[in-house]
Amino acid sequence: MTANMAATIPGQSARKYDLGFARWVYENIEGGDKLSMCMQCGVCSGSCPLGTEMDYGPRKLFMMVRAGMKDAVLKANTMYNCTSCYSCVVRCPRGVPVQYILQDLGRAAARMGYQEAKTTDNARFAKAFIWSTRKFGRTDERLFTFKYYLSFGLGEAIKKAMANMSIAIKLVKTKRMHLGMPHRIKGTKDLNAILAKAAEIEKREQGI
Amino acid sequence: MGKKYTYYPGCSSESSGSHLDVSLRAVAPKLGIELEDLNDWNCCGASVAHVEAGALPASALSARNLANARAQGNQDVLTACAACYLKTHHTNEKIRDKPGFKEKINEALGAAGQSYDGDLHVRHACEVIVNDVGLDKIKEQVTNPLEGLKVAGYVGCQTVRPFAGTEGGGDYDTYEDPEFLDDFIRSTGAEAVEFDSKTACCGGAIALMSPDRTLGLIKKILDEAKEKEADCIATPCPLCQQNVEMYQAAVNKEYGTDFQIPVVFYSQLMAVAFGMDVNKDACLDRNFISADVIAQKARK
Repeated sequence: MTANMAATIPGQSARKYDLGFARWVYENIEGGDKLSMCMQCGVCSGSCPLGTEMDYGPRKLFMMVRAGMKDAVLKANTMYNCTSCYSCVVRCPRGVPVQYILQDLGRAAARMGYQEAKTTDNARFAKAFIWSTRKFGRTDERLFTFKYYLSFGLGEAIKKAMANMSIAIKLVKTKRMHLGMPHRIKGTKDLNAILAKAAEIEKREQGI
Repeated sequence: MGKKYTYYPGCSSESSGSHLDVSLRAVAPKLGIELEDLNDWNCCGASVAHVEAGALPASALSARNLANARAQGNQDVLTACAACYLKTHHTNEKIRDKPGFKEKINEALGAAGQSYDGDLHVRHACEVIVNDVGLDKIKEQVTNPLEGLKVAGYVGCQTVRPFAGTEGGGDYDTYEDPEFLDDFIRSTGAEAVEFDSKTACCGGAIALMSPDRTLGLIKKILDEAKEKEADCIATPCPLCQQNVEMYQAAVNKEYGTDFQIPVVFYSQLMAVAFGMDVNKDACLDRNFISADVIAQKARK
């Protein structure tokens, strides 16, 4: 069922269609099985707070999935402008869990090696965030934020840190940023064993 | 002695959202809520972990917390953070209801000799206040009503979406026009202004990674609060509080506005109205846009 078939429409060069892509999404993306229910009403796109920043709103993106436009879907910035507000999820008249699908599609794009997915602010931010979770078991807002800034290079990191210095000072003064060692859990070893096992299971199931 | 809940404070309780944690712990006993901290709790992953770690590992973060909570014994896990609630509740529901999910999660938990079968109830603090405590109990505790204080109740997203209207989520309010926060505000003696932006999005984590994309969203919320002449904005969500307060200076710089609107948690309003210490309990000194107006309006 997952055989990749390339098809082109006469007169439309360079647009590649992967007819197995929709099937893969239905079977492997969380909520993907509901995607075939989409009736293209556009409530999701109309409800989206950052829809204006997106290459394609969710409605259009879902049609592209069904049309097999794998590359265009996985190169789109749509997934990285989802704020997880869940307006689309509660409003969709066909019960399509739009946010879940976008989130999983973004991750699939990164795993499949799409550069667009790997270099987004979201990907850098998530990498720094999960670093803190793995290392301390908790989010250290100070350290992960600086690690995120560092992903842009040292010069840029210093620039970003300086630009946000007045906020950091206010947070420290109002006891909303502490100056000591990171808060850490006792079970970081257990947590990492659980995370590694979960990643292994997911890889086994999704094949990416 | 009230009902006992296993309390999951979440990472923001130790940093940018510490005033939610401290003020909630202060008012909880007065509302008959007994909080017992979740043992060795870890980060829930919020809306972010998934992107790098994947769906199942992101759920496994919550599953470890749930396994720890199961060992503690209380039936209900309470959290006040929107993201912690959403991720933990969702994982719990999937473990209980989604075919094959429990087996996968338990295979992962097994790597640390743990297991969990989905029989706990994960609840948001606001839902607990609505369903277990009740508005009358809030009103009973008010000694210093916040008369004349105009408050814009800003619910945000994940506190109500996508679970407030579900049976598992306590079915305590609607998605489009939730009223619980206005009810809390009125119970403290304050006035809840009509606030159409109550469920608008502040940008969430995108506001932290690329504020340029989300300043416009925050401005819309501030615009309406100002138009409605609100003395302050009150919210249940740590990230909403942080974004709408922290980025006001950036909004002012970008749009030439002069917003200076305090953004507080509902629990801070309650602590002041309950006559508790305005700094030690209500944490008004943890707001960096001064929220002293709340203490000033409280009838002595």
